[in-house]
Amino acid sequence: MLRLNNLSFGYTPKRLIFENISFVVQPGEVFCVIGPNGCGKTTLIDSILGINQPQQGTIEVGGTRLTQLKPREFAQNIAYVPQSHTKTFPYTVLDIVVMGRTAATRGFGAPDSNQRQRARESLDQVGLKGFEERLYTELSGGELQLVLIARALTQDARIMVLDEPTAHLDFRHELMVMEIITWLVKERGLTIIMATHFLNQAFYLENASVPTRVALMNEGRIEAIGPPSTVITSDNLKDVFKIIATTGTTDEAGIHRKFIVPLKNIR
Amino acid sequence: MSWESSSSDVKKPKCHRKKKTLVTIILILLPLFFFFGTLCIGRYYVSLNDVLTTLWQGLTGTRRGVSAETATVILQIRFPRAFQGAMVGAALGASGAAFQSLFRNPLVSSGILGVSAGAGFGAALAIVLFNSIFLTPLFAFCFGILAVILSYFAGKIDNTSTTITLVLGGTIIQSIFSALISLLKYLADTATQLPAITFWLMGSLASTKTADVFLALFPMALGMAGMLILRYRLNVLSMGDREARTLGINVPANKAAIIAFATLATAGAVCVSGIVGWIGLIIPHVGRMLVGNDNKWLVPASMSLGACFVIFCDTLCRSLTGGEIPLGIVTALIGGPFFIYLLKKTKGRSW
Repeated sequence: MLRLNNLSFGYTPKRLIFENISFVVQPGEVFCVIGPNGCGKTTLIDSILGINQPQQGTIEVGGTRLTQLKPREFAQNIAYVPQSHTKTFPYTVLDIVVMGRTAATRGFGAPDSNQRQRARESLDQVGLKGFEERLYTELSGGELQLVLIARALTQDARIMVLDEPTAHLDFRHELMVMEIITWLVKERGLTIIMATHFLNQAFYLENASVPTRVALMNEGRIEAIGPPSTVITSDNLKDVFKIIATTGTTDEAGIHRKFIVPLKNIR
Repeated sequence: MSWESSSSDVKKPKCHRKKKTLVTIILILLPLFFFFGTLCIGRYYVSLNDVLTTLWQGLTGTRRGVSAETATVILQIRFPRAFQGAMVGAALGASGAAFQSLFRNPLVSSGILGVSAGAGFGAALAIVLFNSIFLTPLFAFCFGILAVILSYFAGKIDNTSTTITLVLGGTIIQSIFSALISLLKYLADTATQLPAITFWLMGSLASTKTADVFLALFPMALGMAGMLILRYRLNVLSMGDREARTLGINVPANKAAIIAFATLATAGAVCVSGIVGWIGLIIPHVGRMLVGNDNKWLVPASMSLGACFVIFCDTLCRSLTGGEIPLGIVTALIGGPFFIYLLKKTKGRSW
């Protein structure tokens, strides 16, 4: 369980990015953070990751304050899939994924063959069997995202934080990521916190009977929090995104699912 | 759960493990080959047999079989110089690899945080002020370390030092020390001190003495040991600060430790060899072509290759002509074309 108590943060104390944010993420649920660009989603994610030190308030994981965790313990509790990754050196895919075992490796050494085996399993689980020796600089954006999810999965943390996991992906890879998230929660019992701009993903998860809640952020505050159907409404989007949107329901391909379509900006 | 992989023709070299073993053996044997080779070669040729006999004699203290001149040439001159060369090359190669990963930039070299410029200034200062052979390496070492400390604090903002500010700090300190070197050159006595400064900056192992070997051995060995221990952390750090942190390492502490060890090794090398450019930049890339980018293999490979390269170039320095050619000139003249060849051959794919 992850608990935020009255959390406030600003890069300068005078101008807070978000203020007095409190919520609890339950074990085994997907907690989606949505909101317009610049509403403070990524800054909130950074605070949960311990990259930003909050001006006020606390974050607790399983009753322990995040600030009391050593980096190693932190990584064993919370894994992270970045929004974008700058590729520098052409490591092999396995080299990248096995880095997820850093916190589980004693001392300063490299992960051993058992750890590498664990990394291979993660690759298998995200559907990238056989990619081990490929250079990760030569992967497509979709494949890279799956590799980064495999790396986070290899950390064996209870909580996984994903910052816009489908930001640059095509429909096929977006669906792959959603299938993996569904699997992570339902089969592996993980707790997921994800920031996203693709509101239909919340409906996807709800429809896949994954416990899903959505927090709608705007200008550093949480405007609404609750199940996808009650938060992602045309009224809420009108207030927060300043757009006209319409919701609908599909019954195609045996899938009964809600969706939302943006129509136009309000001038 | 699995999907049909979008690219089913995954390249998976079968000979991967075999190749790795072969490369490892070569990287272990190659420095030994160059080391004994350079002991034989020179204006005074000594056969390998005599070299081994002499070394055995030096070790056991007996004196039989080889002439006194041979013993002197091998034990007093070539052995310390070859050993020094191997250490210098290994230290520069390893710290170059470490800095490239740390700064996430393949164009960075061991001098990025100003250690070479600082050491050059220290050496020039010792030459101008004291004219002392003993103080020159000591000053070079201390100012090399000082320059890196200054760079570190110049790049430190709000208790953290991001990669970009650290590189900026290094570049600034480097140019300040370069200006100070120019100032000392300008003030130096043109008949004696200026040539001494100029030659020092070109780099050479010609003045290697057993005393120097011991002086520089300690920081180089300590720095290389530290880098070997921490080398896997370089992989993690090269993912960037955010990811390295969330993967479970203390980023500021690991960064500082790696900078400290790489600096010790580089300062130890530079203080006895002068500024030998090139090795810390290029050797890690040759290593990448051979063993890949995993620092678990890359750091030791860079040590081995650096040692071979310096021994090879230094052998040319002292045997090509009647005099001594500065080492820095030969490393660039030999290394440049060799690197272009490698680049064309591998098509730059390994990085």
